[in-house]
Amino acid sequence: MVTVSYENVDKIFDDGTKAVSNLNLEIADGEFLVLLGPSGCGKSTTLRMLAGLEDISLGEIKIDGVRVNDLPPGARGLGMVFQSYALYPHMNIAENLSFGLKRLKGENKISNEDIKIRVEEMADMLGLTSELLKQPKELSGGQRQRVALGRALIKRPKVLLMDEPLSNLDAELRHQMRGEIRRLHEELGCTTIYVTHDQIEAMTLADRIAILDRGELQQHCEPMEAYHNPANEFVKGFLVRHLNEIKETADNLFKS
Amino acid sequence: MNAEKTMRDWYVPLEISVLNTWLRIAIVVNIFLLTFDVLRDSGIVLSLSGILALTILTLSLPEASKPWKRDASLAMAGIVSLIGTVSILSQPIGFIIWMELWLIIPGLISIYWISSPSVSDWNNNQLSIERVEFGLARNKRFQGSYQRFGKHIILLHFAFIVLLPVIWILDISISPGNALGGPIGDSFSTEHFTKVLGGDQFPVWMKNSLIVSVGTTIAGLGLAIPAAYGFSRFKFSGRNPAMFAFLLVQMFPGIIILVPYFMVMKSLGLLDSHLGLILAYSVTALPLCVWMLKGFFDTVPIELEEAALLDGCSRFEIFVEIILPLSLPAVAVTALFSFLAAWNEFLLALTFNSSNDMYTLPVGLASMISSTSQSWGDFAAASILVSIPVVLLFILFQRFLIEGLSAGGVKG
Repeated sequence: MVTVSYENVDKIFDDGTKAVSNLNLEIADGEFLVLLGPSGCGKSTTLRMLAGLEDISLGEIKIDGVRVNDLPPGARGLGMVFQSYALYPHMNIAENLSFGLKRLKGENKISNEDIKIRVEEMADMLGLTSELLKQPKELSGGQRQRVALGRALIKRPKVLLMDEPLSNLDAELRHQMRGEIRRLHEELGCTTIYVTHDQIEAMTLADRIAILDRGELQQHCEPMEAYHNPANEFVKGFLVRHLNEIKETADNLFKS
Repeated sequence: MNAEKTMRDWYVPLEISVLNTWLRIAIVVNIFLLTFDVLRDSGIVLSLSGILALTILTLSLPEASKPWKRDASLAMAGIVSLIGTVSILSQPIGFIIWMELWLIIPGLISIYWISSPSVSDWNNNQLSIERVEFGLARNKRFQGSYQRFGKHIILLHFAFIVLLPVIWILDISISPGNALGGPIGDSFSTEHFTKVLGGDQFPVWMKNSLIVSVGTTIAGLGLAIPAAYGFSRFKFSGRNPAMFAFLLVQMFPGIIILVPYFMVMKSLGLLDSHLGLILAYSVTALPLCVWMLKGFFDTVPIELEEAALLDGCSRFEIFVEIILPLSLPAVAVTALFSFLAAWNEFLLALTFNSSNDMYTLPVGLASMISSTSQSWGDFAAASILVSIPVVLLFILFQRFLIEGLSAGGVKG
């Protein structure tokens, strides 16, 4: 059972801007939650606080009921996929994948043979077996994103975090990777938090979505629920109207 | 036909466009050479008239449908070559010959090209449209190679200017005796090299210089790398003023810090020691090193560190496993710079280490030329020997140098 909960969480930056205010959010075990909102709404900050890359100004974040506010990022048992992939440029793909495994501590520590097996498994799952000895710069954008995904998943994280992972890909690849992410999620059943500003991504990937605006949670429910019963004007404008416009555009295109 | 007229209007034979560029360059070069005439006090009338003739030649280069210009430019080209020849005959020495070739060669090429049939016919408007088309195609084909040729002429001149002192030193070092002048390559002797290498002082100086330079490199990098990383990654009060203060120190001439440094070294008892020089050098090289390294660290994306944090690295592990390997080119360049700074420094070494067996190479070299004895030959030989390690370092680090200096570009 891996649950994540935000309890009255605030984030105030050093310069005084309030990025997140009084956030309460529960993520159930094995759930795929999408944090959706326009840029600057605090969705990335919300994710980064959970990852430990930002301090939590007020409130508590719990993973499995354990307060993680003061745990270092590496100790929280998370995997994270960055928008820019953030692969280590001086290591080959196998080294990139195994980098985190080599740093596991205590009872989680695993032997070199096991690391090798895990790397091969992961490469197999992501179709990267023939790329293991290449450098990141030799791979295409889609492959790099897959390596980043593999690097996050190989540690068997309690929670998988993704910060706009598909923004740097072209439309075709994005579509393809979206399917793959959902497939992996169903295969591994890992609790996942996914940040995006793309409504289509949110609607197609999420079990539930949390819509944020100016640091405040607007609505937290299943995607279709938000579409049919938007909680307020913002959700109506940002989600419902946007999706309707896309639908209209597509309809018009095929009518003519 | 309109297209035909356009082609005719646009067509200029390659010879003429090349001359148009190169005669101008020749004028500039000759004006530059004029300063040598003034400095040598050898009369400027001939050179001035050469420049004047070149200018008129440039202005009178042939144009389509102005036949008279062809004769005028031919006459001027003849005059230009004549002036050059007269100058050479009056003073037939190497430098003058080279100078005047900048008149003679442009003049002769002008005569040859302007009198060629394709230019004459173009000048007289007697080209058929087929020949215009052919000419345009030819222009396109040969333009590149003419440009390359011209670039190399210019580069050879610069290379010569840069190499001249080196060649001179090399010549002095292999000539017998201690004369400074004399024609290059007239005689050969290894007496200076044997004397320098066989003497008991040079190896000591070399050892001192190596200890000080390697020490400075290690100490300088040890200070600069963490400092630059801190300046690049952490926000703290006084960060920007501190970065600026680094530059401020660089703004004063080195001699200002000489006396305070001397007092400090004296009270620390570090005069006449390697450590004193290492300390002083690494501190003086620090600002440049910190700025260079900070610039490079800034280009390493912060996401890499965040990814490593999530992979369970500590700050120090991130620094060692991620940042340092990625910054290797920049670190190499910085190391080379601090090594060179220490290797070539003279003033501090002269002031701090006054006993002969603590001399570094630059001080040792200078001691060969005193008011009582001027062993220029030994001096030149030693200079060559001193520069060999530096040359080797540059060759070794060449790849890093290019990468490191162009750092900050987009990283794929």
